[in-house]
Amino acid sequence: MTAAETGPLLEVRDLHMTFGGIRAVQGISFRVAEGETLGLIGPNGAGKTTVFNMIMAELKPTSGEIWFGGENVTRVPTHERVKRGIARTYQVPQPFAEMSVGSNIRVGMAPDNIWKLIGEGADPAAEAEIGRSVGFSDEQIDTLPSELAMGDLRRLEMARNVAVSPKLLLLDEVFAGLTLREIAQISELLVEKKRKDGLTYIIVSHDLRALAPLVDRVIVMSFGEIISEGTFDEVVRDDAVRDAYLGQ
Amino acid sequence: MAVDRETLRYLGWWGAFGVLMCLLPLVVGTGTLRILIFAHFLAMFAMSWDFLSGRTGYISFGHPFLIGIAGYTTAILSFRFGVPIYFSIPAAIVATIVGGTLFFLPALRIRGTYFALVTLAFMEILYQLTKVVAPKITGGTRGMSGLESIVSGAVNNYYLSFGLMFVIGVVLWLLIRTRLGVALSAIRMNEEAVRSTGHSTTKLKLFAFMVSAAVSGVGGAFYVHYIGSIAPRGMFEINFLFTILVAALLGGAETIIGPIMGAYFLTILLEYLRPVMPGMERYLLYGGIALVLYVVRPEGIYSLIADAGRKVQEWRR
Repeated sequence: MTAAETGPLLEVRDLHMTFGGIRAVQGISFRVAEGETLGLIGPNGAGKTTVFNMIMAELKPTSGEIWFGGENVTRVPTHERVKRGIARTYQVPQPFAEMSVGSNIRVGMAPDNIWKLIGEGADPAAEAEIGRSVGFSDEQIDTLPSELAMGDLRRLEMARNVAVSPKLLLLDEVFAGLTLREIAQISELLVEKKRKDGLTYIIVSHDLRALAPLVDRVIVMSFGEIISEGTFDEVVRDDAVRDAYLGQ
Repeated sequence: MAVDRETLRYLGWWGAFGVLMCLLPLVVGTGTLRILIFAHFLAMFAMSWDFLSGRTGYISFGHPFLIGIAGYTTAILSFRFGVPIYFSIPAAIVATIVGGTLFFLPALRIRGTYFALVTLAFMEILYQLTKVVAPKITGGTRGMSGLESIVSGAVNNYYLSFGLMFVIGVVLWLLIRTRLGVALSAIRMNEEAVRSTGHSTTKLKLFAFMVSAAVSGVGGAFYVHYIGSIAPRGMFEINFLFTILVAALLGGAETIIGPIMGAYFLTILLEYLRPVMPGMERYLLYGGIALVLYVVRPEGIYSLIADAGRKVQEWRR
């Protein structure tokens, strides 16, 4: 089914973001269909992470609208958007540093309700299950983030996101700092999660080789604008894209 | 609430601590009891600070503001207006919770050093207000003395203060062992990531502030009726604030039992240094001891004792 038939899962309409005199995002619009994997690429400073920050309500857009599941969520705060089904990973992984892998997952699983937080105990078995589903061994559940390699930290963010049961997952530079083996493992994990849970992804990555097999469609940003859109092969052949990456 | 074996084991320790402290008046004199009463109040203030600042990382320099609201509310109501203390004390606790919510407003926008400074300003504002606004009611710079006492005698006051501290300690300790405690700690580590796992950090912080304020309220209200007087100096003094902070940090922040240990240690240390060093120089010594402990063991006294306990267990195996 295409986006036109079911209505898009996510739609951003004419998003603008200005920081002082810098126009970081200048009128971005795009749609993502349920189950689709969208690649978001572009040179450094193109505004990709800013778009993610706006979709997560970590930044308030200067103007424009964000629709999710047919609802205008532009004014909905971060935690409420998460409850509606949007989650993200960070360029630099953001674990709860003094907590074990299991406790990190525990925060993700915990309900947003004070009385339930107090009254209902944690479920270590379910936490371990989520940990295993992203490839952690049972011993790793008790380790601290400081003892984990970059690939495992990215896995930990995946686990914490899986715990909030998202529909749409925003993956920011998900392959950065990983070895080839780790890239293969994370890619496999993404494909697996998508197949099982029907996740929709938007992936920001500089690693085009890793990105290519995963994406249905790619949007290229440069200086806050969309300069190209299409399948992976189409956009890499686009002269505007080559210019943006290599400079004229 | 599911009670696991570990919780039960620790509750056993709490119970042993409670029994031991209840038996203490049988073996020590009233002088020692009077020292311990101060330790119990200090422990309540330190736990209140720890539940907010130790957990969420929102460092408060303004806890005397909360304690002051409680103290002044019950003092004014009972002393000026003749309200019975069993009404004025609950009213003081409610007023402190309302004050805690006020305190919370800046935390919506700022954190770190700025938040700490704003809370310090809260304390200073109340200090000035009590001196100039309606001195006929607040007693101005001289404050009020001759406040009604709740119970009389060192032994009764010892049991009252210990009972309050003990109940507060166990309740807070049980709270931080739930997922709420985990979520509050997560705020200290990375507030943005807590939001992005679907939690309203505003709600969590507000709850922590209100609990902290309620504890300060209980401590503050009972404290002024114990000492029988209240004055702006002493209440809103930086030394008072630092004593609370040092007790919490010295004992081991984020643990609840740590601040209790810190309060005992600090009060007893200061008191027993008094004959040897009658002047202010004993504060210098306690500052020095605190400094050495922070450098050697930043996690506090609690972790020293916990480590020793673990070593004994290993040795027994």
